[in-house]
Amino acid sequence: MSASPSLFDLVRIHSSESASIRQGFETTGDGKVAIARRTALVDSIVGRLWQEFVAAEIDQPEGLSLLALGGYGRGHLFPHSDIDLLFLTEEERPDPKLQDRIRKFNQELWDLRLRVSSSTRPVSDCGKLSEDNVEFTISLLDCRWLAGDRKLFSRVHDQIIPSLVKRDWQTLVQLLSEVTRSRHAKQSNTIFHLEPNLKETPGGLRDLNVAVWLSLIAAFQKNGWPAKESVLPVANRGAIDAAFDFMAAVRCFLHYRHGRDDNTLSWDAQDDAAARAIGIPDHAKIPAADWMRAYFRHARAIDRLTTQLLDEVPASRASLYQHFQRWRSRVSNGDLSVVDGRILLHTNVNIDAALVMRTFEFLAKNGFRLNSETEQRLSDAIATFVSKDLRTHTLWTHLRHILGAPFAADALRAMHSLGFLVKLFPEYHLIDSLVIRDFYHRYTVDEHTFLTIESLHRLLLPPQKEQPSEWETYFGDLLKELEQPELLYLALLFHDVGKGLPGESHVANGLPVMERSLRGIGVHQEELDTIRFLITEHLAMSATLRRDIFDHETVRGFADKIGTPERLKMLCLMTYADIRSVNPEALTPWKAESLWRLYMAASNYMNRSVDDDRFHAEFEAETLSRIGELVPKKSTELRKYLEGLPHRYLRTHSPMQIAKHFEMSTALAKKPVQISLKHTRGLYELTLLTGDRPLVFATIAGVLSAWGMNIVKANAFANQAGTIVDTFYFKDRFRTLELNPPELERFEHSIVQVLSGEVSLHKLMEGRERVATNGPTKLQTATRLDFNNHSSSHSTLLELVAQDRPGLLYKIASTLGRYGCNIEVALIDTEGHVAIDVFYLTWECMKLSGEHQFQIRRALLEELELE
Amino acid sequence: MTKLEAVIQPSKLDAVKDALMEIGVDGMTILEVRGHGRQKGHTEFYRGREYTVDLLPKVKVEVVLDDALVEKAVAAIVGAARSGKIGDGKIFLSKIDDAIRIRNEERGAAAL
Repeated sequence: MSASPSLFDLVRIHSSESASIRQGFETTGDGKVAIARRTALVDSIVGRLWQEFVAAEIDQPEGLSLLALGGYGRGHLFPHSDIDLLFLTEEERPDPKLQDRIRKFNQELWDLRLRVSSSTRPVSDCGKLSEDNVEFTISLLDCRWLAGDRKLFSRVHDQIIPSLVKRDWQTLVQLLSEVTRSRHAKQSNTIFHLEPNLKETPGGLRDLNVAVWLSLIAAFQKNGWPAKESVLPVANRGAIDAAFDFMAAVRCFLHYRHGRDDNTLSWDAQDDAAARAIGIPDHAKIPAADWMRAYFRHARAIDRLTTQLLDEVPASRASLYQHFQRWRSRVSNGDLSVVDGRILLHTNVNIDAALVMRTFEFLAKNGFRLNSETEQRLSDAIATFVSKDLRTHTLWTHLRHILGAPFAADALRAMHSLGFLVKLFPEYHLIDSLVIRDFYHRYTVDEHTFLTIESLHRLLLPPQKEQPSEWETYFGDLLKELEQPELLYLALLFHDVGKGLPGESHVANGLPVMERSLRGIGVHQEELDTIRFLITEHLAMSATLRRDIFDHETVRGFADKIGTPERLKMLCLMTYADIRSVNPEALTPWKAESLWRLYMAASNYMNRSVDDDRFHAEFEAETLSRIGELVPKKSTELRKYLEGLPHRYLRTHSPMQIAKHFEMSTALAKKPVQISLKHTRGLYELTLLTGDRPLVFATIAGVLSAWGMNIVKANAFANQAGTIVDTFYFKDRFRTLELNPPELERFEHSIVQVLSGEVSLHKLMEGRERVATNGPTKLQTATRLDFNNHSSSHSTLLELVAQDRPGLLYKIASTLGRYGCNIEVALIDTEGHVAIDVFYLTWECMKLSGEHQFQIRRALLEELELE
Repeated sequence: MTKLEAVIQPSKLDAVKDALMEIGVDGMTILEVRGHGRQKGHTEFYRGREYTVDLLPKVKVEVVLDDALVEKAVAAIVGAARSGKIGDGKIFLSKIDDAIRIRNEERGAAAL
């Protein structure tokens, strides 16, 4: 490039060379060449202005240097980036004449429409690390001589900066780490934004700079200024070079497109970039969604390196953190160790599928990240796995452990990024880095999915900084009540997979994908039914929130659609997680409150409508037929058994369970008390069928209490024919049954004997004095009773809340029995130390009068508050 | 120019938005609010705990209109938001001194 020394010519030179650079970029798409050419152009302009305004006017050019900093110093000047200049002076206070010269120099640059960020500092500033201005020290790591006193520059570059780094490297990396983590937190700590900022979003160019700075600082410890080309770890260089090529091309494209330093990859920009194949080798045009997948691939490489380097930043001066790290490092096993908070697979282990699964289970349980070498080894091994070999009937057992662990989302992200999730569920690739454009979602579909699971687990983790909100406490309590939370997590994992397929409804699209994915991996039919229900209805609660949630009909319609309290809890939490993970502002307190109120209203409706909502065979042919298939040739008897049972019974039991109870009922003629006892999920489940008569429920509760069992949950139903079906879930406090298998038979026999009158309950209870407490509790629950004669058309509803203790249910039921009440339906539940019981009561087939209710209330309060 | 603020039932938002768009009102601001008038709250019991709903969730729709469109907008909102029960909400009107479009600094009715 030739030019005359005239200042006027600089305008022309700048304009024509800038146009040439742009044209070159638009022809080749090579961002690295474009930024190198722009750097050279600005160097030339700055050099000429220096001659004109500074060097020509100053008597003593020594003691003054002009340096390039930041991106300009690195030689990476993007089309509309700021030009960072440092006037370095020997003197503490520069001559006013010099300051005037510098002002004119900068003005000329502004007149050329170059955005200058200029500062003047003495050399002494370069040797100090200020915690308020760490950016200045960091920018010196990229300094480059432009003009002026070379010796002054060399002193700073070769002596002062290396000295400062060697002395203060620990503080420097910690401050850099804090600034970076703070930036990441503002971007929700994820690279998967739908409209990322190429510079600021994790995995972007700023992170790449951070990685280079951290590596540079580490390299300083050994050898003084290292060569910047070789400063990054060897294992990462190829991927990082490719990532920089891509990002540089995209940033140039964005600057030219926007005409300013705007680094947002908006949807329009994505479409444009894809159409022009920006950053794509051989300029192959690809759809915008695939172009974004390329972006995320490069962002992931940068993010992985930066995260690894940030994690290696030494512990802060607080010894508490050091102790914590050392404690965490002791969490190791035969396959792996934890070193500096990273999982490191032992070199002598054979990496097979079982080990890979164990590693991810470990990660899910403990929350550590994988060391980069381990990531590579796992990735290489996973590439050789065959999907069908992984998809065995034990897969669900392992997956259940991962999904239920506190850091499940981190494990799933690692599994996804290393290709393991797609090996387990091949169709999961449909949502890999998938950008779905809508106004509310901020993240890719896969990241949104992992965030939903993370948001639920966060409800159970101890609070990090702020106290949880009122709603987070309520939803957290609800999560603790779930019988099978892993089903909810599995449903969340697949709830949006249908978005990767064309079509109107992602729900309808996603169901077959889920069914295929979960086939043959050990998920039971009942579990699959629950997952299918959750995915099918995962938008139902949000849709209902747009209606009047205080209207009884709205609540009734919604509750009837959901069916059971357990599904209602799961759906409520699914809705919470789904909204929470759309973007950080989506779940406003207003919305959370509305969600909770709808849940409460539906739950109360379910409990208060059990008695009226009963099965009538003439209207329920489909249900009859479905269960009838399991008990062929017994349709008449089945009809009789089901007639009059509350729908709650049918919704809370599978067809297999109902068929089994029916079979038990057919044997009542020979054996008037039919019992089924099993141990499942830490509780014993006792199902009992017998003829309805007074005090049956109380008697069973009494026997259980006498045996030292703590009833956690119970349901009591009766059909029109007078057969009762009672189910009790209890904990064996003294492990009697577990440690003494022969006692199982004696226990069952004891129930039969008491119910048949052979043995007196009173005598049984007398002979088995037990400690009548569950241990000390911090909070005592006041007893509360509410009678309601309006919820049911023919019984009185009693809702009772009391401090739970052994024998409580027996006391309540026997008191009700003493006052002549017939228990039509009982729904018994426990939440921590609180017993929450619902009874539908009649007296001589009628509702209880006000006086009767008063007497029962008094008796119950006396009975329960005596202790 | 007149500012119209309508506090309505959340379930009526879609209907009100559609009604306003039908009469040519494109721009509006929606806020999630809580409040009550004569429709007092109530107490709900859930598993032994008492939850008092004294401030009910509502939605506030704000639009600034040319004076000529105000009555039409009021009628549109009333028609869409009314159920006849206490709690339907209220509309408030106030005068606006000026409006400025940030993009190109247009002022007055042209900025609406």
